[in-house]
Amino acid sequence: MFHFSIIPLLHQVQIDFKIMIRFAMALGALLLFPLLISCTDPPTNVIRFGLATAPTNLDPRFATDATSDRVNRLLYERLVDFNDAFEPIPALANWEQVSPTHFRFHLTPNRATFHDGTPLTAQDVKATYNFILNADNASPHRSALAMIDHLTIHDELTIDFHLNRPDSLFPSFLTIGILPAQLIQAQHPFHSKPVGSGTFSFVAWPDDTRLELVRLADKQTFEFIKVQEPTVRALKLLAGEIDMLQNDVPPELVTYLAKDPRLRIQRKPGTNFSYVGLSLEDEHTKQLLVRQAMAHAIDRESIIQYVLGGAARPAQSLLPPDHWAGAHNLKSYEHNPEKSRSLLAQAGYHAQAPLRLTYKTSSDPFRVRLATILQYQLAQVGIEVDLRSYDWGTFYGDIKAGRFQMYTLSWVGVKTPDIFQYVFHSHAIPPNGANRGRFHSDQADLLIDQAGTTQDLREKKHLYQELQAYIAEALPYVPLWYEDHVFMAQQNIEGFTIAKDGNFDGLKNVHRTSPSMAL
Amino acid sequence: MVTKFFLPRILTALGVIFGVVCVVFLLLHLVPGDPVEVMLGESAQPADREALRQALGLDQPIHLQLLSYFKGLAQLDLGTSLYSRRPISEILLERLPATIELGLASLILALTLAIPLGVIAAIKKETAWDFGAMGFALFGVSIPNFWMGPMLILVGALWLGWFPVSGREGMGSIVLPAITLGTAMAAILSRMIRSTLLEVLTEDFIRTARSKGLTEWTVTFRHGLRNALLPVITLLGLQLGALLSGAVITETVFSWPGIGSLVVEAIHRRDYPVVQAAVLLISFSYVMVNLFTDLVYAWVDPRVRLSK
Repeated sequence: MFHFSIIPLLHQVQIDFKIMIRFAMALGALLLFPLLISCTDPPTNVIRFGLATAPTNLDPRFATDATSDRVNRLLYERLVDFNDAFEPIPALANWEQVSPTHFRFHLTPNRATFHDGTPLTAQDVKATYNFILNADNASPHRSALAMIDHLTIHDELTIDFHLNRPDSLFPSFLTIGILPAQLIQAQHPFHSKPVGSGTFSFVAWPDDTRLELVRLADKQTFEFIKVQEPTVRALKLLAGEIDMLQNDVPPELVTYLAKDPRLRIQRKPGTNFSYVGLSLEDEHTKQLLVRQAMAHAIDRESIIQYVLGGAARPAQSLLPPDHWAGAHNLKSYEHNPEKSRSLLAQAGYHAQAPLRLTYKTSSDPFRVRLATILQYQLAQVGIEVDLRSYDWGTFYGDIKAGRFQMYTLSWVGVKTPDIFQYVFHSHAIPPNGANRGRFHSDQADLLIDQAGTTQDLREKKHLYQELQAYIAEALPYVPLWYEDHVFMAQQNIEGFTIAKDGNFDGLKNVHRTSPSMAL
Repeated sequence: MVTKFFLPRILTALGVIFGVVCVVFLLLHLVPGDPVEVMLGESAQPADREALRQALGLDQPIHLQLLSYFKGLAQLDLGTSLYSRRPISEILLERLPATIELGLASLILALTLAIPLGVIAAIKKETAWDFGAMGFALFGVSIPNFWMGPMLILVGALWLGWFPVSGREGMGSIVLPAITLGTAMAAILSRMIRSTLLEVLTEDFIRTARSKGLTEWTVTFRHGLRNALLPVITLLGLQLGALLSGAVITETVFSWPGIGSLVVEAIHRRDYPVVQAAVLLISFSYVMVNLFTDLVYAWVDPRVRLSK
């Protein structure tokens, strides 16, 4: 039993409260003031872009993550770029193939100067690539350029690349941003103070959650803000604290944001390929019948429609059909549980002796959700799946070491068809490549080798298409889908074009049509 | 006297830091995942992997790596991030003000809430005030930060529009993360204050103080609360250490650029030197806070001084 009496309490405690609150506030102000004044107020005329992950390195010779690469594209110009079919097109330079092992690049006359005012010449191209090729510098991009034997400067605007083996796709690999030779020599810290010749220049990087760049053409400032939590990122967009977002927002949040009249949503088919990886050394999954049964058990159309909000297209191969080396009319595995059960029965599995598999995935909540859906669909045909999610480092380590029966992952940023060499050639078993499932096929090896060595692009395309048809039959992967790119922005933000590979080049033309509501 | 009080504590502190650095170093190298693999991807040639491993010093036997790490530490060199290739001291200095700011703001909020709540609950034992205050404490302890953070954002930022959703921009941005962290801490502290104060208020010296005709205020605060604070200070020390080490979930939810979120990112990337340096900083903060707690102990309770 208790009694409730407020009056005596007020008499005794009210004054104490006041004293304590005053004391705490004074103490708080004293301690916090110097720190709080270090907090910066949000700038008002800035266009703010929300990111899931921050760039880690603004030096294109070392950056390996997608966000750094996309930001570096704004800061630095490269010799070669890609069109929507991923064919190489001139950026800083046009090129001619002098011989199978000799390419000559002519710098375009209308190229920009470096942000420090010095002109970009063949000397800078040579210094950039020589730095990467020097093993002492431990650049992560060296291996991709291993076909370069040496570079020679023809004249100030012309540079020759000499290769140690013929490669007709060679220009596709020259996508590293060019740095000024003088600053390379001076060991300038490009990673945090970038100097390129791109359409944006560096302003400030106060901490790794905020990066400020300025668009040189009109001095419009852009701020890249890292907001790790997808829900918080979406809420920031709703509150007007950021002006735009691209990708990395769960589909249900995109649907929610699409209902808000203050926001606009744009989509574009993407090329990031999601798949189920299978071990070809495991006693169960090495059987083609089992892999076919799994392919028929997965209802990709329903997942795309109901889980991904329609923002994906079914995939049949690692390269999308609109890639220059992509294949059409590949064998597709329609959702057919009956056929799946019958294939499993042919492989010797039944209710008394069901197929049991362990399925590994990362700890990303959305990937885990997708995995539970696949687990349910496989259970419908009698495949019992034990789902395990791990932190990225552990998961990725297991996959490379071949410690899995099945897993799901995506290939991101694939541009050249030599990916097949890395993923399906029998010589590419980790650590020599990404043949994680240990797929051994003489037929695939032959096609990959022929496609890699032929110099005729038409023949190359034909061989890669034949290879994709073979892989669709052999099923070392069960292809799932290509996720769309989704761009979300305030209504007053216009001019952004979504890139096929999700880069940020669309920022070159973005502008605000009316003052920001929130700022 | 001062040496006798300080020296054993400082030696213990150094031992703790040494132990922590060794354990973290070994654990990081034992868990699966390799920074070189993460950096280069699978398309890299084995020779390039080796070259990078060599350039980063990861090809050395683990005891030599540890030795070279300690050599660096002796020269106050925390190393360079494997990813951004920036000096780690620079990265930590960028993050530290945010963490200190959030830690202090939460602590002040927690104390401002906890002391009155604990005292009211104790002096009004088994009344509605007590149940109300302890109900709040139970509420505060039970609500996880990952739920409370987004709820505060929804109400404080989206519905009311008083504070920014996240980030560290402007003075208002600290309010929501500080409430998220401070409420849980206030809850723990107020329960502790209540129970210790209740115990102290039944002591003989309190009866003596009352019989001398002192006011209830003087009895409660000057004699009661001061004596009840000893275990609270210990708890406060531990909590402050935890706050300075970075509140990982709160920092992630509010995109607060502090030490906690840095550690998580570095672990994901297997950026060993950054994790090591951050853990070193965290253990150093803990040790310093505990040393400070001991000093406050000595100030609050003269017996501590005498016994040492």
